[in-house]
Amino acid sequence: MDTDKNGTRNVPWLDSFTRLMLIIMFAILAIIFAAAKYMDMHGMQGGGTDDAVNAMASLSAHARSHPFIYLPGDAEVGAFSVANFFAGMIVGHNWRKLFGSGKGD
Amino acid sequence: MHIEDGILPPGAWAGWYGAAMLFIVPGIREIKRRVRENLSYKPFLAMVGVAVFVISAMHLPVPVTGSCSHPCGTPLAAIVVGPMATAVISMIVLFFQAVFLGHGGITTIGANDFSMGIVGGISGWLCWKLLRRFGAPLWLAGGAAGFAGDVMTYLASAFELALSLHGHVPIVRQWMIFFAGYGPTQLPLAVAEAVFTAAVLQAMYSRRPDLVPGVAGRGMSNEAASSGMEA
Repeated sequence: MDTDKNGTRNVPWLDSFTRLMLIIMFAILAIIFAAAKYMDMHGMQGGGTDDAVNAMASLSAHARSHPFIYLPGDAEVGAFSVANFFAGMIVGHNWRKLFGSGKGD
Repeated sequence: MHIEDGILPPGAWAGWYGAAMLFIVPGIREIKRRVRENLSYKPFLAMVGVAVFVISAMHLPVPVTGSCSHPCGTPLAAIVVGPMATAVISMIVLFFQAVFLGHGGITTIGANDFSMGIVGGISGWLCWKLLRRFGAPLWLAGGAAGFAGDVMTYLASAFELALSLHGHVPIVRQWMIFFAGYGPTQLPLAVAEAVFTAAVLQAMYSRRPDLVPGVAGRGMSNEAASSGMEA
């Protein structure tokens, strides 16, 4: 929270911490988008290696592998979103306990 | 490294549960001891646990191989909260990932914890300790720990599969076959994990050097912890 020369308190739209986090986020997302675009252009499936190796292991074991639960289609995106939203809240809550507020926050 | 239910025979997954318990029990003791010594440890452990959950569920595309995989986060966790405590938080993380995200399985939590939480954590931690002892800079020791912990996690996971499923094939050959499934995608991600681990340790050092073990030269006192939490 900033205080201007008239003594009015205001909250900046983008404080230094938010700016830094957005820059890091966009940098990581740019790498992901570029990699995904390249894979799409070359007809690559982009499946998970865990799934591929589990399928290999299933052939060796002559048994079907299965996750504890199966989340079809967009349900997986939904589950990830919920989990990561609350993960972010918990990290943020503990972050403030440990690192406090930076200058300009 | 998220081995699913149905792949490992009951004797194998029970054995991996037993092996993991050898680290979980001292890990719980370590957590109890450090909570008493350090006011910051509880929120720190919670934050690191959630970070491991997110990092090890975050599938990143690797265009070299056309597939996706995830980093582990456990080498970083082992450096900052301790290798035994990392075994405990990884087991909790793997339980939630199996139950809510369909990653891994319930019977395989022991095996998955052994590869990611124990082998990944301890190898990263040993790498960090060794390099710091020889005076390596923080970024180098942290980066090498992230790389080593990531690769060792997948080597351990491939070994767990090979040990149970090699049949008439020599175990080392089967181990390398399974690792060949992980390796090409995982090696670029291990480099990314190295960069990430080094960056986080460097950022922590700039804000709270007392939270980075072996850097401030001594453990964090309750007085220092309190001042950090009141800030």
